Amino acid sequence: MVSLLIHAVEQGLAYGIAALGVFLTYRILKFPDLTVDGSFVTGGAVASLLLVQTGIDPFTVLLVAFVAGCCAGLITGLLNTKLGITNLLAGVLTMIMLYSINLRIMGRPNLSLLRATTTSRIVSAAWSPLGNLAILAFIGLLTLAIKLGLDYFLRTELGFALRATGDSEQMITAQGVNVQTMKLLGLALSNGLVALSGALIAQYNGFADVGMGIGTIVTGLAAVIVGSTLIRSSRVELMTLSVLLGAIIYRVAVSLALRYGYVVGFQASDLKLITSLLVIVALVVPYVRERRLRKVPSC
Amino acid sequence: MKRLNLALLIGLTVGTLALSAGAASLTIGITRIIEHPALDAVEQGVIDALSAAGYEQDVNITYLLTSAQGDVTNAASIAQNYQAQNVDLVVAIATASAQAAAEVFRGSDTPVIYAAVTDPVEAAQLVPSATDPSGNENVTGVSDMIPVAAHLQLLKDLSPDIKRVGIVYNAGEPNSVVLTQMAEAAAPGLGLTIVTATADSTANVPIAAQSLIGRVDAYYVTTDNAVVAAIDSVLAATIEAGVPFMVADPTSLSHATMAAGFDYYDLGLTVGAMVLDVLSGTKPNEIPVTYVTDGQLHLNLDQAAEIGLEFPAVLIEQADAIFYGGELFTK
Repeated sequence: MVSLLIHAVEQGLAYGIAALGVFLTYRILKFPDLTVDGSFVTGGAVASLLLVQTGIDPFTVLLVAFVAGCCAGLITGLLNTKLGITNLLAGVLTMIMLYSINLRIMGRPNLSLLRATTTSRIVSAAWSPLGNLAILAFIGLLTLAIKLGLDYFLRTELGFALRATGDSEQMITAQGVNVQTMKLLGLALSNGLVALSGALIAQYNGFADVGMGIGTIVTGLAAVIVGSTLIRSSRVELMTLSVLLGAIIYRVAVSLALRYGYVVGFQASDLKLITSLLVIVALVVPYVRERRLRKVPSC
Repeated sequence: MKRLNLALLIGLTVGTLALSAGAASLTIGITRIIEHPALDAVEQGVIDALSAAGYEQDVNITYLLTSAQGDVTNAASIAQNYQAQNVDLVVAIATASAQAAAEVFRGSDTPVIYAAVTDPVEAAQLVPSATDPSGNENVTGVSDMIPVAAHLQLLKDLSPDIKRVGIVYNAGEPNSVVLTQMAEAAAPGLGLTIVTATADSTANVPIAAQSLIGRVDAYYVTTDNAVVAAIDSVLAATIEAGVPFMVADPTSLSHATMAAGFDYYDLGLTVGAMVLDVLSGTKPNEIPVTYVTDGQLHLNLDQAAEIGLEFPAVLIEQADAIFYGGELFTK
C-alpha cells in the first residue's frame, strides 16, 4: 500500500510539471491551450530519441525536451497572434501537426527505453540508501525547483506583464507592453514545461509512445481546478503549490481506484469513470462544506 | 462442554482450510492496454488454459484483471498496483502494457509474461534475443508476429496478375509499423510493390482505403487495431476497385476475400501454457520468444463472387475453412 502511494505521488509530481504548464496558459494567460496533448509527447519523443541514439546524459535530455516544447508552444502562439486563428483552434491544429512530427522524431510509434540509461535508473543507483524513496526524492526536488523558478519568474517585471496580459489586454497595451510577445512567451514556457514533464514520464515509464499524450489537458486541468478548490489564494506561490497538490491527488485517486475499485464492485472497464468521479468528489466536497459554513440556504 | 468442543473443531477446520487455501492460492495480474476483441480474447485464452490445468478463480487462484483504457501512464500505475499486491506472476498484453510492467518489475523475481507483442526484441526491447533466452532476466512471452511474406505469397498464388499490393495501416501502432516494414522488405523478392496509405484513427480509414483505388491490384490489412475496427470501409473500397482483399486475422473473414493467420484466443492458450510452465518452476530466462505457428487459411467465396474472382485449386486445397452462402464450413 505504502509503495503504491509512493509511486502515485511520484507520478503526481512528474505530471505536476505539466500541470504547472497548463496553469500558466489556463489561469495566468487565460488562453485555453490544447497544444499540450501533442507537446507532452514531443518531450517524450525527443528525450527517448536522444537517449537511444546519442550518449547525452538523461538530465540534459530534459532540458532539450523543454526547448522542443517551447518551439511547439511558439507554433500555436504564431498561429494565434500572427495569423489570427482563434486560440482553441490554433492549439488543436498544432496538436494535430505534432502527431505527425512526433512520429517523425521517433521514426516509429513507440521507442523503448528498457535498455537505455534513464534518470530513474541513475537516481536509484546513486541514491540507493534512500531505497524506494530515491526516485520520489529526485522528482520531488526537480518539481520543487521548477515551482520555485516559476514563482520567481512570475514576480519579475516580465512575469507581472504576463499576468496582466491575462487579466486585461487593453490595460497592458496601454502600459506599452506588446500583448503578442507576452502570449508567445507564455505559450512557449507552458509547452516547455509540459514537454519536460513528458520527457520525465517517458523515462519513468521506460518508453515513449505516440499515444502517451492523450488526456494531458484533462489531467492538467483537473490538477489546476482540484488544487484551486483546496487552496484559494491569489498569491503566486500558493497557486503553484495548489496545482502540484491537485496533480498528486489526481494520480493518487487513479491508484486507489485501481487498488480498491473492485471492492465496491467496479470492473476493469470502469477505470475512467472512477477517476472522473473522484475528481468530481474532490470538487464538490469543499464546495458543500463552504456552503454549510456560510449557512447559505440551498435554494 | 460438548458444544464447546464442536465449536472448537469447526473453528479449527475452517481455520486450517482457510490457511491451506491461503498458502496454495496464487495471484496473477493480467494487464492490457485497452479493451479490444483480440486482446480480450488473449486474456480469456490465458484464463481458460489455466482453468483446464485445474486453476479455478476464487478456489486456488485469484486474477486481477485491469485495462489501462488506452492511457499509457495508467499502464504504469496498474503494474505498480500489482507490485504492491505482491502478485505471483504478471501477464502483460500488448506492447505498452508489457513495457510498463517490465520497467516496474525490473530486477524483481516476479515473472512478467508478455502477450501479443509483435516485435519483442528490436522494437519493444523486452528481451535481448529472439532465440537465446539466457539474457531475459524475469521477462519472456508470446509474440503475435504474423508470417507477412507467406501472406504476400498467398496473394501471388491467388493471381499472378497481382503486382501492386495496397496496405492500409495506422502509423501510430507499433505492431502495424513493424509488419508493414516487413511487407516492404519481402515484396521485391516476390515481384511485388507495396503501396501504403496511413490512417491516424478509425475515422480516417475510409479515406485512406479509397486513396488506393486504381493504384493497387490487391489490398492487404495486417492486425492493425484502427483499420480492423473500420474494416467494412476497406472492404467497400476494394469492391469499388474490383480487387481482392486479404486480412491477417481469420475472425475478419466475412469482411474480406481471404484471411490467413491465427485466432488471438489460441495465442492466449499458448500464453497460458507458458504461464503453467513458469509456475511449475521453469525460469523466464530458459524460455525463448514463442510464436504462434498454427496459421489458418480461410476463403470467402461470397466476396470473391462479388468481384468476379475464382479461387485457384491450389488455394482451395490449402484452405482450412470456406465461407459460402453466409456460412462458414471448416474442413
